[in-house]
Amino acid sequence: MTLTNMLISHSNLGFCSDFSRPLLLPLLLPPPPPAGSSFQPFVSRLTSIVGSTGILQNDRKLRQTCQVMAAAPSYSEAAGVTESGMFSQSDDDLNSRGFEIHMSRDDINLDKLNSLFVMVGFPRREKGKLLRALEHTVSLLWIHEKKSGSIIGFARATGDSIFNAIIWDVVVDPSYQGLGLGKVMMERLIADLVKRGISNIALYAEPNVVGFYQPLGFISDPDGIRAMAYSRRRR
Amino acid sequence: MACCSTVSFLVVPHYYWCSSSRLTCNFACSSYCSSVASSFVNALNAVVPEKGDLRTKAGLWDSIRSGLLKTSPMAVTEPEIKDDEIELEDEVVLVEKVQTDGTIEKIIFASSGEVDVYELELLCDKVGWPRRPPSKVAAALKNSYMVASLHLHRQPPSTDGDIPAPEKRELIGMARATSDHAFNATIWDVLVDPLYQGQGLGKALLEQMVRTLLRRDIGNITLFADAQVVDFYRGLGFESDPEGIKGMFWYPRY
Repeated sequence: MTLTNMLISHSNLGFCSDFSRPLLLPLLLPPPPPAGSSFQPFVSRLTSIVGSTGILQNDRKLRQTCQVMAAAPSYSEAAGVTESGMFSQSDDDLNSRGFEIHMSRDDINLDKLNSLFVMVGFPRREKGKLLRALEHTVSLLWIHEKKSGSIIGFARATGDSIFNAIIWDVVVDPSYQGLGLGKVMMERLIADLVKRGISNIALYAEPNVVGFYQPLGFISDPDGIRAMAYSRRRR
Repeated sequence: MACCSTVSFLVVPHYYWCSSSRLTCNFACSSYCSSVASSFVNALNAVVPEKGDLRTKAGLWDSIRSGLLKTSPMAVTEPEIKDDEIELEDEVVLVEKVQTDGTIEKIIFASSGEVDVYELELLCDKVGWPRRPPSKVAAALKNSYMVASLHLHRQPPSTDGDIPAPEKRELIGMARATSDHAFNATIWDVLVDPLYQGQGLGKALLEQMVRTLLRRDIGNITLFADAQVVDFYRGLGFESDPEGIKGMFWYPRY
């Protein structure tokens, strides 16, 4: 793993470093610049420190990476997930259009979630069971529509939090489909899973949405692997 | 159930509560393969403990025990009645065999998750799976909804009269499932020691696992099958690409 890769790997500060790696002299690195500030001082600060150790003085790729990172606060979260390293729509973009991204189950309204499920043709789930399912969900995301106050998008992932994760219940309110919100959710959910170190992310796609997942990096039946489900009908 | 002269096969569910102060019912019907045993098994299958009802069940166990057991008596102690639901733990003896020298061998299925990571590592080596950091494996097992195991128990004949020889236990198979504890479960890492393959143990392991999951009301049981084992799972009641649904993986590493 090159030093460049290490630097752009998961960082909770949105900063060009990974404090868990002793190689990077974490104590010497300055705090991250506020969002929207000019990238020039940031890059020069970093290279002056790192340059003094002689490690990265001439790493052009790193400089470019740091420039992009400083310019787009959402970079490090999307690093390794999207081609550009940036989300297709930033949180700010979405906010300005009245959509709030939430990734905590704390304030989720089960009735509103059930309404969304019903709207897309899923069965309405019993609240106790739904709550239990959410409590044992590794990562989830929901989109709050500010004007109506409803939940218009949802996605979640279950798994062992170490090796494998399965994504379930990816839904967008039909009235809000076609706006790229499904992609918005998937990028963030995957970025969260990748950040947790989960390398095996899978899902079960209905035939009409296989084309939706492919551009996001999903491959169906890799190496001949088949999805299977237990069928009680046959018993 | 099949019988032969030197080996008897019997699927017998043990119902016990995993705690020293709880009611324990441990019965063995070795070398006993008949309709009597099967009806006994059916009767026991019907016995489901209810909260606060354990004292009456103790009577039932006593009468069964006195009538059928040939082995040493087991301790029946008054169970502790807890506030929350009493967990029913299943262990199923899949195979029981008495060797000519008197060694008792049992292959036992358990869904209680007692799998030693180092034993698992040895088992993974045997089937040619790449090694994974033991700490991660331990965490993954802990975060799994169900860890099902097959252990081979060997009890050599007692050389010292009353004192039974220590029982040796070896992990010979495992499977685990992750789940949201409500709607979906996905089965991973199914493996059986090559020495014990071809005996139907993998099938039994999965069958017991599916049964346990269904009993816990998990309606959607899924898995991803390598091409060469798709038929194995079909035989167990799994359907590939149900309703055209495709399994997809994010940038898989082969």
